[in-house]
Amino acid sequence: MNKEVIKGSQNYIPVEIEDYPTTGWQKFKQVVRRSLGKELFVGLWVVLREMLKFNIHTVQYPEEVLPLPSRYRAVHKLLRLLESGNERCIGCGLCEKICIADCIRMETKEENGRKVVSEYSINLGRCIFCGYCAEVCPELAIVHGSRYENASEQRAHFVLKDDMLTPIDFLKEQKEFDGFGAVSPNADKLIKKTPLAY
Amino acid sequence: MDLGIFIFQTLIKILLVLLIFSALAGFTTYIERKVLAFMQRRLGPMYVGPFGLLQILADGIKLFTKEDIIPTNAIKPIFKVAPVILPVSAFVAFTGVPILPDIQIGDTTFQFLIVDSDVGVLFVLGVMAVGMFSPLLAGIASSNKWSLLGGARTAIQLLSFEVVTGLSILAPLMLVGSLNLIDINNYQIEHGWLIWQQPIAFVLFLIAGYAETNRTPFDLLEHEAEVVSGYATEYSGMRWGLFFIGEYVNMYIVSFLVVLIFLGGFGEGTLLDGLCYLAKVLFFIFLFLWTRAAWPHVRPDQLMWLTWKVLMPLAVINIVVTGLLVI
Amino acid sequence: MAEVRVTIDGKECIAQEGETLLNIARANGIYIPAICYLNRCSPTLACRLCLVEADGKQVYACNAKAKDGMNVVTTTENIAKERRAIMEVYDVNHPLECGICDQSGECELQNYTLLENVTEQHYAIRDTYKPVKNWGHIQYDPALCIVCEKCVTVCKDMIGDTALKTVPRGGDPLDKSYKEVMPKDAYAMWNKLNKSLIGTTTGETLDCTSCGECTAVCPVGALVGTDFKWSSNAWELQKIPSTCAHCSVGCQIYYEVKHISIENNDKKIYRVTNEPHFATLCGAGRYGYDFENRGAKKEPKSLEKAVQALKSAKTIVFNSQITNEEALILQKLKEKLGLKLVNPEAYQYKEFLSVYSKISGKSLYSGDLNTVRKSNFVISVGSALKTDSPNSRYAFNNAIKMNKGAGIYFHPVKDPIIDGLSKNVIQINHQPYEEIEALKWILIQFGKDIPETISAKLDISQFQEKYLGEDFQTKLEKLLKKKDKFSLIVGADLYGAKNWQDIAEVVGLIDLYTDFSVVIIPSDTNTLGVIQICELDRSGEAPRVGYNEKGDFTFSALGDGDFDIPALNQQEGTFVNIDKRVVPLNVALPYGGYTLNDVANEILDNPKQWTIDYTSELFKKVDFDSLPNEFLNSGEENRGYILDIDEVEREEPTFHLANNEPPKLGSSVIYLANPVLQFNRFTNKAHQLSESGGLYISPEYSEKFGIKEGQLVRIATKYGSLKTKAIVDNKIVGEICYLPTFDKHLNARKLFDSYRFIQAKISKV
Ligand code: SF4
Ligand code: SF4
Ligand code: SF4
Ligand code: SF4
Ligand code: SF4
Ligand code: FES
Repeated sequence: MNKEVIKGSQNYIPVEIEDYPTTGWQKFKQVVRRSLGKELFVGLWVVLREMLKFNIHTVQYPEEVLPLPSRYRAVHKLLRLLESGNERCIGCGLCEKICIADCIRMETKEENGRKVVSEYSINLGRCIFCGYCAEVCPELAIVHGSRYENASEQRAHFVLKDDMLTPIDFLKEQKEFDGFGAVSPNADKLIKKTPLAY
Repeated sequence: MDLGIFIFQTLIKILLVLLIFSALAGFTTYIERKVLAFMQRRLGPMYVGPFGLLQILADGIKLFTKEDIIPTNAIKPIFKVAPVILPVSAFVAFTGVPILPDIQIGDTTFQFLIVDSDVGVLFVLGVMAVGMFSPLLAGIASSNKWSLLGGARTAIQLLSFEVVTGLSILAPLMLVGSLNLIDINNYQIEHGWLIWQQPIAFVLFLIAGYAETNRTPFDLLEHEAEVVSGYATEYSGMRWGLFFIGEYVNMYIVSFLVVLIFLGGFGEGTLLDGLCYLAKVLFFIFLFLWTRAAWPHVRPDQLMWLTWKVLMPLAVINIVVTGLLVI
Repeated sequence: MAEVRVTIDGKECIAQEGETLLNIARANGIYIPAICYLNRCSPTLACRLCLVEADGKQVYACNAKAKDGMNVVTTTENIAKERRAIMEVYDVNHPLECGICDQSGECELQNYTLLENVTEQHYAIRDTYKPVKNWGHIQYDPALCIVCEKCVTVCKDMIGDTALKTVPRGGDPLDKSYKEVMPKDAYAMWNKLNKSLIGTTTGETLDCTSCGECTAVCPVGALVGTDFKWSSNAWELQKIPSTCAHCSVGCQIYYEVKHISIENNDKKIYRVTNEPHFATLCGAGRYGYDFENRGAKKEPKSLEKAVQALKSAKTIVFNSQITNEEALILQKLKEKLGLKLVNPEAYQYKEFLSVYSKISGKSLYSGDLNTVRKSNFVISVGSALKTDSPNSRYAFNNAIKMNKGAGIYFHPVKDPIIDGLSKNVIQINHQPYEEIEALKWILIQFGKDIPETISAKLDISQFQEKYLGEDFQTKLEKLLKKKDKFSLIVGADLYGAKNWQDIAEVVGLIDLYTDFSVVIIPSDTNTLGVIQICELDRSGEAPRVGYNEKGDFTFSALGDGDFDIPALNQQEGTFVNIDKRVVPLNVALPYGGYTLNDVANEILDNPKQWTIDYTSELFKKVDFDSLPNEFLNSGEENRGYILDIDEVEREEPTFHLANNEPPKLGSSVIYLANPVLQFNRFTNKAHQLSESGGLYISPEYSEKFGIKEGQLVRIATKYGSLKTKAIVDNKIVGEICYLPTFDKHLNARKLFDSYRFIQAKISKV
């Protein structure tokens, strides 16, 4: 491992560039120095060393995937409440409103005294994965997931509510989202307290 | 020896050489990819078969089934024939190379050499050099500027390195006094490996061999960063595959020659010697891959400069010095 | 009225005496915060945000009348403190439901909270449990209610149903210590707020005429339409200003449209809204919006057929649910093809109006709903006001409520809603055919300098004896005290009466000899326009082309005829409304088929690209696109243009039927009228109002004759008979039943002649 790199990105190493040889003799000297000097053999040594160490960096992609940072913005997910399993989305429509590509559309209705989102769709062919929807969502319901394999036969590629919503049997696997649009760690400090009379 | 048996044996040998070395050429591509990958902290082919072993097969199927495109403006006969020259010359050259020491089973001696000629070295080098026509003609016939550039570079290479090849082994040959490869081998049993007596010749011959086989750092005929794919730009399918086979067979020839001439060959021909022989050959094959992983390639002008101004004088000096010593 | 000058924040404003400071400020573009004040209604004084300082004294701008020379400051340090505290109080326990609230950001509570920059909360009280109430067309969420009482006020002062009231909230009293620390008004306001919620005056559920106006005035999302609830955010809806197509009032409305669903991009109307400060809707306008003719296509063959049908026809039968432009095209077709134009309803109205004009000397009736609103003594004759013309009822009610007014309602069918308006309203339920007596009484009672020749013929002793006894006289005396502005509303019962000529003459005379301004309610949406544009014929022979009526070839906007035409929410055009105003209507929904103009272009010599190219050929040379359709901040109605009233040469009344005995009707009488929320087949097509009609009977009738809701009855008159189910309508009283016209499966008209009452035999089947 290159120690300089580890020390920090500010730690640049200046490369010394010598003047180009001009006369034949100088060129000859350079060739000799380079071929008989260390340079050629260092090269050979380095690659051999790496082969012997067998420190392979390849990620065998479809079987093996790199963990994504939580702020990565890929295909959206609709989350559920962890305790009750209810859908988080309250149907406020802010995501639909803010969407810069105008690719979210939803249908809402009343059901048993609650506002429910009967259908929700994102046209991934238009989505620019800007994350505004996740950021504006007051319920942390629409978030960016980690599905980035978006090959599709059509340019307009819709995901519907069922594609995005955590299936109820997989509720246990749903993690609290801490990526783009999540509550900031110091949120508690930023709000003023309100007297409550319970 | 009965002529019939001789012909039969020879035919079998030819067939074996053809089959084994075509297969080896393919296998070497696999090894090359793996070695290069490991040296670059990669895994190389992994998907087809266990550890990607069947990748060769997949490549083969691909090469055979790919459409064979011949450009409209190409000089068709030459375009078609050019790729054949390289493997043909390479395999012909192989006839002069002893692949293993002779093996005595009962009364019969099996010679793993098809043509035991007294001018073995010359024959092998000469026929190999014919292979250079292949890229040259391909480049000229393709009617493509990249191909043409590739062809022109072939000419440079041809002109420069054939001289060095010849001159470099002149000195050891002077010491041995024979052009027969078996003689050279046997000479070293008594006098020790020629590399110790002729280190400069060894280095020069190795360098020339790299150039002859178009390998890094002298792969300027088809260097993709400069001339797309050089002479092979317009080729596809199996025609392109032929260039490939030729190149790899040539690699083996050069490796065999280097071992035979400078590194003691198969010595006395015992089983151990035979194995050592093959191991040495494989080391040089590995060296081809190793250098490819480590070194950059040179420009045509650097190449010319190197041969004419450095290597050739060195070779000449080497010959003169050797001559003086011999006398 | 005298003019006064007041200075508000240094700006000199000229206003009428008696106007409130808030209205003066609004008219002059000066901003005073106010949540609970509703224009044209009495101030509720609930929010106290409108505090201003007038001549050094704190007053509520929505309540304080302007005095000459007054100097008003809209904000002082103390007032700012009060306002901020008031907004904090409003936010106490207000659920954080803005995300799903149907107000979707168009919320005055939000606005003022942000305006006052309420970032912290200093007050608290224990919350109470308040479940949502479903009141039919309306839902009430008490948790969101800020008890501004606008809903109560509008229902009382504007609509007249008085179906809402404040009810006790329950829960804890305020912490006494707040009294010391809080600004005075904020504390008082909270104290009141904390004691009340909104409830109905009609028991558990809301039983009213379902105008939905309370949902329109609610500044928060506490009252919303059940059908609309949670179906769309306000910001997604495109507001299209237009005119309601159901009755002659022609209210200004906004159609709010959006795509149908995710996959269906076609537009759909999600709701109708209005500007409650300036215009008031009835339930038919608010809920009866989706009567569009969907799915019509342009098929050249059908166009050809329509052209052929018109060319071979002798008569066009139509009604007045039609724009002026369409009417003009029909008239042009008449001229070109020599057709007859038959529209019985408009014909009656036209004849009636022309007799009135001859007597009064005015081409059009003198009053309008605004004069009604401004008057303080209103009489209505010959109209089932509540259902015939809801806004006339609102004006009637508004005049009585806001101007300390009084009124008399003459009609054979007793209406409990009218009784509920005020104790200053006298309802007199005379017999059918006696309308003229009531009008004569007005002429006698209020007439000045009536020539001898006329007054000699005005004998109403019988009528007086029957209905206007001593009680009435004493009450009338009381009611007439301090009354100076008089309005008379006459309605559709009169136009088809046998003695319509006499009636029209009396109405003309009332206009001439009394202080009353007269409104003659046009009997259908655009009757007033049609009669001025079309030369109507009394009848015409077959073959007939029906335009929204049945004919041998039928043009229908309901989509059930031979040729599709756009419904009134799918086309541009104009109406002439009850206020004699030419008002524009706009395209809310796209229409894919041919219009009348397309057909006419094949026949007429001067083809026009659009139907509205005819607009400038109407009463004034004004293009459709330059017709405004809005209200100004001052409340001024800036819609279309008003038609002038011309002078007409006067003639003397003839009274040919004078003093004829009214024909005696037996006990069973039926009336041709529609129930609340219905006007015609279009209102019935709307999904919220779709119902099937029947014989509407009062609860007493049901009890007396043992006819229950839903029971089949046979109704027979001398013109025919039909079978239908009985429907108990608790919005009428007495023994007269009515049959509706809105249901196309119930051909009630065939039982009647031109008069709306008829003797009938009703029997159980
Ligand atoms: S990521 Fe951006 S573009 Fe995509 S749906 Fe969300 S707001 Fe719209
Ligand atoms: S912003 Fe969040 S809660 Fe609101 S509609 Fe979108 S996903 Fe649902
Ligand atoms: S009424 Fe609705 S929008 Fe207004 S503050 Fe309350 S919840 Fe929010
Ligand atoms: S329901 Fe609405 S209009 Fe009525 S008092 Fe409550 S907030 Fe005001
Ligand atoms: S719908 Fe109309 S009549 Fe009914 S309570 Fe509301 S305002 Fe009053
Ligand atoms: S607006 Fe005057 S008290 Fe509310």
